[in-house]
Amino acid sequence: MPAELDPFTIEIVRDKLSAAADEMGVVLARTSMSPIVYEVLDFACGITDAKAQVIAQTNGLTLFTGTFGPQVRSVVEKFGVDGMSAGDVFATNIPYDGGTHTCDVCLIKPIFLSGDVVGFAVSVTHWIEIGGSVPGSIPPDATEIYQEGLRLPGVKVADAGGTSQTILDLITANIRLPVTGIGDLNAGLAAVGIGERRVVEACERYGIELVGATFEHILEHGERVARAALRDIPNGIYEANDVIDGDGITDDPIPIKVTVTVEDDSLHADFTGCAPQARGPINCATGALLSACKTVVRAITDPGAKSNDGFFRPLTLTIPPGTVFSAEPPAPTGWYYEGASCANDLFWKALAPAVPDKLGAGSYMSLCAAYLIGTERETGELFVLAEPNVGGWGGSAVGDGVSALIATTDGDTYNFPVEVVETRYPVLMERYELDTESGGGAGLHRGGLGCVREYRLYGVDAAAGYGSCSGAQRTPWPLAGGVAGSHNFLEYARESGRHRVGRTPRVELVDGDRAMVVTAAGGGFGDPLERDPERVLDDLIDGYVTLARARDDYGVVIDPGPMTIDRAATRELRESRGASS
Amino acid sequence: MKTRVATDIGGTFTDLVRLDEATGELMLAKSATTPDELAKGVLDVVEQGGVELSEVAELSHGTTIVINTLTERTGARTGLVTTRGFRDVLEIARGNRPDMYNLVPSKPTPFVPRRYRYEVTERVDRHGTVLQPLAIGELDEIAAAIAAAGIEALAICFVHAYAHPEHERACRDHLRDRLPDIAVTASSDVTREWREYERTSTAVLNSYVQPRVGRYVDALEARLHERGLAGPLQIMQSNAGTATAAAARGRPIYLVESGPAGGVVGAARLGQRIGEPNVLYLDIGGTTAKCSLILDGEPTTTTEYRIEGRPDYAGYPVMVPVVDIVEIGAGGGSIAWVDQGGSLRVGPRSAGAEPGPACYARGGDQPTVTDAKLLAGVLDPDYFLGGTVAVQRELSHEALSQLGQQLGHDARELANGIVRLVNANMINALKLVSVRRGYDPRDFVLVAGGGGGPMHAAALGAELRVKRVIVPPFSGVFSAWGMCLTDPRVDVIQTRIVRTSSVEAAEIDRLFAAMEGEAASELGAEREATSTSFARSVDMRYQGQEHTVRVPVDPGTSIEAVEASFHAEHRRAYTFDLDETGIEFVTFHVAGFVRRDGVEPRPPALPHAASRPEVKGQRLVDFDIDGIHDTTVYEREDLPAGFTAVGPLVVEEPTTTTLVHPAQTLLVDEAGNLTIELG
Repeated sequence: MPAELDPFTIEIVRDKLSAAADEMGVVLARTSMSPIVYEVLDFACGITDAKAQVIAQTNGLTLFTGTFGPQVRSVVEKFGVDGMSAGDVFATNIPYDGGTHTCDVCLIKPIFLSGDVVGFAVSVTHWIEIGGSVPGSIPPDATEIYQEGLRLPGVKVADAGGTSQTILDLITANIRLPVTGIGDLNAGLAAVGIGERRVVEACERYGIELVGATFEHILEHGERVARAALRDIPNGIYEANDVIDGDGITDDPIPIKVTVTVEDDSLHADFTGCAPQARGPINCATGALLSACKTVVRAITDPGAKSNDGFFRPLTLTIPPGTVFSAEPPAPTGWYYEGASCANDLFWKALAPAVPDKLGAGSYMSLCAAYLIGTERETGELFVLAEPNVGGWGGSAVGDGVSALIATTDGDTYNFPVEVVETRYPVLMERYELDTESGGGAGLHRGGLGCVREYRLYGVDAAAGYGSCSGAQRTPWPLAGGVAGSHNFLEYARESGRHRVGRTPRVELVDGDRAMVVTAAGGGFGDPLERDPERVLDDLIDGYVTLARARDDYGVVIDPGPMTIDRAATRELRESRGASS
Repeated sequence: MKTRVATDIGGTFTDLVRLDEATGELMLAKSATTPDELAKGVLDVVEQGGVELSEVAELSHGTTIVINTLTERTGARTGLVTTRGFRDVLEIARGNRPDMYNLVPSKPTPFVPRRYRYEVTERVDRHGTVLQPLAIGELDEIAAAIAAAGIEALAICFVHAYAHPEHERACRDHLRDRLPDIAVTASSDVTREWREYERTSTAVLNSYVQPRVGRYVDALEARLHERGLAGPLQIMQSNAGTATAAAARGRPIYLVESGPAGGVVGAARLGQRIGEPNVLYLDIGGTTAKCSLILDGEPTTTTEYRIEGRPDYAGYPVMVPVVDIVEIGAGGGSIAWVDQGGSLRVGPRSAGAEPGPACYARGGDQPTVTDAKLLAGVLDPDYFLGGTVAVQRELSHEALSQLGQQLGHDARELANGIVRLVNANMINALKLVSVRRGYDPRDFVLVAGGGGGPMHAAALGAELRVKRVIVPPFSGVFSAWGMCLTDPRVDVIQTRIVRTSSVEAAEIDRLFAAMEGEAASELGAEREATSTSFARSVDMRYQGQEHTVRVPVDPGTSIEAVEASFHAEHRRAYTFDLDETGIEFVTFHVAGFVRRDGVEPRPPALPHAASRPEVKGQRLVDFDIDGIHDTTVYEREDLPAGFTAVGPLVVEEPTTTTLVHPAQTLLVDEAGNLTIELG
């Protein structure tokens, strides 16, 4: 074996490729002009091999875990590798071609070495504006993709000579914030440029043979790890049913269903039985569905490892076309992340009983994105406040669910500090606290608590609220005998009274009105009657459960004066409820 | 004789450096750290070094007590008082999920459980305008609850207290009055930077460590003065300056990276002395490697430090200035292992001192980086830690062979693989503090410290293409050496969001001047016979963006000039600027220093320049891809100033070993630094 074509060098090249994806992410976050990119981390970067298999990927969110492969393939199918030249960059934001929603612009740059394509550098960025019927390009009541802005159907945006003026003119003419949009285009171009350069450097230093061997090693390593973990899961057929509560147009429940077959070291998911694509923008297309499923595969294999497509080789899917998870043109997909979060939750729900140490009970699931828009009185300027909201996660075999944590669709996403929000927007936060009223879904290991975030409009001329929360009609599911969690909802307090909704296209508001986002508690794991009474007492002292819930949900009788457990009464109550001991 | 003394408590040893203020002569001493009673270790090392405390004009002290108290969770039972409606800010935290594919995630457990978090009615808005006055009447009930709960320390954090600290102060004073035995910290006493979660966390952690640190500083100060210490006790802070004992008692959280900060100051001072103001500093110990960037002769600080923070774990924020250090789990004791997919990994688990690397023969059977270095011939088994530790090369060989079998490689190949991997990890860490922040390593020298730094530095420096590698003398006590040269420092931080277009330069100047006044009064008595200086800077951003960049501001600078610096700095950090977009000032910083008359430490006594050093030995060293070479070994103290030789070379000293690769050139300068030109 030549001195450098050894497994240790392959490990180092693998680290370099992974560092290259990280560096692409840093460049993108540094150069982007959209707060949603550098604050919410709504982006991803990566490198694929020549066959569109992801070798290294850096994700800001889990929503992009599965999109790169199909997106690269869509461009290769359209142009052919022979139709590509060094310096070319292609753009796609078509949901039906492996993407998500039109705001997410994916750039793909073939990496050439000695005239051959050795791989692709890929970036995806959420542009804050891409045209369409409303500012921000995510109309909550869209019925066609045409309302969701400019489409870039796998077009060449740059070649060796630079960025195409034709494309720049088209973009500039079609979006409301062209400076930001073009800035994000440039950020993406910088990122794929870095990815290309780092792969070429690795090939020049270590030889294309070794880099190619590293690609294969990475994929095989991922596959080995995944298959080893899958072998620990009992063979069987695991099913889950649920509903999506409304599509943005109506509140009618949308049935969804998955059948997962675990056989030795492989996994098959069949989404037959899901409702047809909806009229409203809750739909997602297959790229986002792949992300949803692959996120769970990562969770049940080696969640700490760097992402690559090898992990997903044991996964096969049956996806009937034209469902709410496999939408076809011209279905709207603006709120795809709500649909994708339901797909993720469904797949998770099916497998949770089989993998109790890696999947807990259901979580609040939805980002509960609530918008407040309007005109600030002091400056006369428009404002658009949109925040990702944190909520409760389910209890698991490992322990209690976590309170106030960002949803599965996201990742290292931060909530917005109250002091920052109040400085930037004409609102006062009345409270930002755990929702102890709903509590966590009861269980041996209880669900984590959701949050209450209540805004008062403070210095506005005119304002309105809108948003899309899944979970106004359904609750996070329990596991192993636990109790379900609570509801996500939005509530608007106006002179005319209180108005509670899940999804709403528009609620008119005036100065002094209040808007409240309440996120759900996670589901409980295991029989609450088996929870250690001492822990129930602790929860009562901390205010996570009430005296009544301690008694009714957990069968624990506490004397509220001295705050002590009445052991005899507790035993009696638990026995009368059928507790085993 | 008037002297200045620094003592630094490390995990294993407490180090001492004494500097003669007249002659610059240095004396070093080491004694065992006494974990159960840290002050004793300090007194031990003072005694061991024969330090005459009545001659000591100032004693600087670096201590691990704050970080230990936090990581071991041995602090006080702490309570928290918040604005009504915000009791759970500490627990909600930022809600981020860095370990994004872990679907049974965990979140840092708050240092104050919910039962000890109290709400009081009060509210101010973003301008600091009072919307609801502080309901002082509610505080008596809270005080009673606090007393009944046995709470020992208390933090107060109100929304927008950075803009209006008066409510926090009134609450603090009232509760201190009612609860005289409890340490009370108002968040605005520690920092007046915005972001309520981070400020609450900082105040809580300050309170949590305060009683223990107070007792420690009291005891140490009393015992040193009992034994005749003439000058003041100064404590090394994380901001690369020292604080009086009184200031350390009040704001102990400023000491969180006390020890490592000493090394960074040392590297900065070294850079200044050799005319290299831009330094990459690398310190490799037994468990971790730490990297930091020194720019224009000054350590860089950040207020985004996190206790226990990792790429996959949020940790606990500490929003006070801390030298910007990236730490990775790669050191001499890092264990090599094979993962589930059959790939070699090194660290972050370390064999520590017990059982230690396999070669220690204390029951450790997993190969470590040290075992790999021993097998490669870089380390001499008969001169391990200066011959103080007996090691067995065969045990390294055995451990490496066993792991190698799993991978289909012999011990020697595996040893090279381990070193290559650990070097790659360190390269990534060094890139994090340089390339990732928009700096080119080629503009920097690499200063290597710690027991492991000089062994890896030449390979790392070559890969990063730094200007050259410097291995300073006293690298075994480098942090204490840096502390000896550290000046007192006070930071004042104030968030005030204002558009640059709507403010006059004079107003900004008045704000800075007021902050300087605050810093000066805190620096207080230390200003006698010395000069106080200030560094002003401000975090700025484009309107609509959240991220800021810090821009230095000289007194009298026009707003236009500050804006121009901001555009330039934004371009360097983020590759673009937006010259059409409005700009905001966000957070103002003043660092106040007491600059003392420079005492120049004298270089160690080096052998006569004309002397030819004796060759200590000759052995086969495996330089991995640079080949296996019969390599000359020198003892460092035998090398005279001006000595130069071409690698491969090994230079040994009791606390470390410097490796010079083939075709690299070693030069010993007048100050006793080993300089490696990388060719």
